[in-house]
Amino acid sequence: MDDKKLPVPQPPPSPERRRFLKRAAQVGLAAGVSGIAMAALWNALSHPVIPRGYVTTDPGILRPPGALAEDEFLAACIRCDRCRDACDTKAIRIFGPDEGRLAGTPHIVAQEHACNLCLLCTQACPTGALAETREVTQVRMGTAVVDRRLCVSWNGSGACGACHTICPLKNKAIRQGLYNRPEVFAEHCVGCGLCEEACIVKDRKAIRVFSERAWS
Amino acid sequence: MSALRKAWTALCPKPGWQWARRGVQAAAIALLFLLPVLARYNNYLASRELDGVMERWQDRSQGQILAATDQALRATGSEEQVFEGNPRRNREELQERLARYRGSVWSVEIAGVSMTDPLAVAESASASKQLRWVLFVGLLLPLGITLILGRVFCSWVCPMNTLLELTDKLRGVLKFLELPPHNLRFWRGNKFLLLGMGILAALLFSVPLLGYFYPPAIFGREIHNWVNVFFDRAEAGAPGISWLGGLSIASGFVLGVMVLEVFVSERLWCRYLCPGGALYCLLGKFRTVRVRRDVAKCTDCADCITVCGMGLNPMRDVTGIECDNCALCITYCEPRALSFRFDLFDPRPQGPGQGLPKVPAAPVPEPKAVEVPERAKAVAS
Repeated sequence: MDDKKLPVPQPPPSPERRRFLKRAAQVGLAAGVSGIAMAALWNALSHPVIPRGYVTTDPGILRPPGALAEDEFLAACIRCDRCRDACDTKAIRIFGPDEGRLAGTPHIVAQEHACNLCLLCTQACPTGALAETREVTQVRMGTAVVDRRLCVSWNGSGACGACHTICPLKNKAIRQGLYNRPEVFAEHCVGCGLCEEACIVKDRKAIRVFSERAWS
Repeated sequence: MSALRKAWTALCPKPGWQWARRGVQAAAIALLFLLPVLARYNNYLASRELDGVMERWQDRSQGQILAATDQALRATGSEEQVFEGNPRRNREELQERLARYRGSVWSVEIAGVSMTDPLAVAESASASKQLRWVLFVGLLLPLGITLILGRVFCSWVCPMNTLLELTDKLRGVLKFLELPPHNLRFWRGNKFLLLGMGILAALLFSVPLLGYFYPPAIFGREIHNWVNVFFDRAEAGAPGISWLGGLSIASGFVLGVMVLEVFVSERLWCRYLCPGGALYCLLGKFRTVRVRRDVAKCTDCADCITVCGMGLNPMRDVTGIECDNCALCITYCEPRALSFRFDLFDPRPQGPGQGLPKVPAAPVPEPKAVEVPERAKAVAS
């Protein structure tokens, strides 16, 4: 009989080996979880937030009314979707998971769907990230800015007045001059974005809301 | 009455805790889907599009769901204005009522009562380094319930736990196929470490990170997204239902937790990793409702150990902070030795159970007088 074909008896798994395997699985699991956490953290920190006092042509992120300053808002918001549920006009949208530290936070795209300042979201927020606001005039979402080269009333191609008509604080935030030329008064403008939604200029709106936190 | 009792015992031979628990779990899952639907309904109502939308989507599931919601709300509503025999909803009254139902498990408002997960409050407060009173309004009820009843959120409400209890059946199938899955044990302190790391990260980087890895929060966001995409598709005129519409990689995380549950260890996430569970553990340290053992009845059959999802041993009398009061051990205790009692602390171990059935001792045959033969006597002398 050939000795080589005999099965080699294996030693039974020892308690040390079992303990080592267990420990290894544990360490692996911990490393995996902390790895995911670190990756998420890296992703979150690598997304730049526009610093204050920075003048830009990027209108910035328009947060719902009552929102704290951007950094405080990102810290306080728990991404619970209650403001989106509360929003009757479905103006509030939620950032998707690929947006880093912005993921899950509410924002408004004014030129597609503007806020109508019902302020229900400020009552719905459980953390105070959207501070409870009762008066429309206390809202500071941002400021509308008119681009006089694009506005039909300003560049001489017509007389429109759509933004003035829809403005909830008309004759305070937006006043009209000759040929319905709109002028924005920043101390009254709350930044709801209704003017941006109503603007008749195609492709690029002549009046846009710059979020307060981005440039003031 | 006796007939009712008979019917009840036929339906539910065990004490009724599990029925109550399943009911609460089902209600939690139903609310997860119902609240975004109600929000959507409110949206159409507010924009005065509801009737048009219900007519346009008559043949679609979206329209049917909205119609059912409408019917239910009308049945429970108070006044309806009647114009020429045509009942109209009282829009303002309805909207006022609907505004009191919103959110998900992470933070919810039901009938005007706001409830926020303690983990969310802890993260928000430590990330923004501020204590706003709004936080405590939502914290009041969850904190009170946890202080009195212990870690009941985990076993009675958490949708992840419900799902994992279902996933456990797969483990049973694997065992039946004689492919017994692993059941590794880890250090339970892991979850407290994770909780500490998360709070530390929130303090250092002002990012509430744990919310992205906490299954109840994930469930809330994903189901909200899913329902919204479900209605968005109808608005866009797209046919059918997109089964994965609106779901993100976070759902993959939940799936991963389920896979770990099946192949690595029973209730791996809840026992060893869940940061929210860790917080509930700590809050439930001085809970008043505890599982107690009656030593006189206990037979040391160890059914309670087999059944416990958290891997505890009620037979040793000390369940500590990990017990989530799911009442499974109480339900499956054959001699009814376990029950809920009001107590602030675990007692000293009471030793082995003394409820062993008294088996009548087998009759021992009387030793017969053996006749010693004469010859032997002679040898002895």
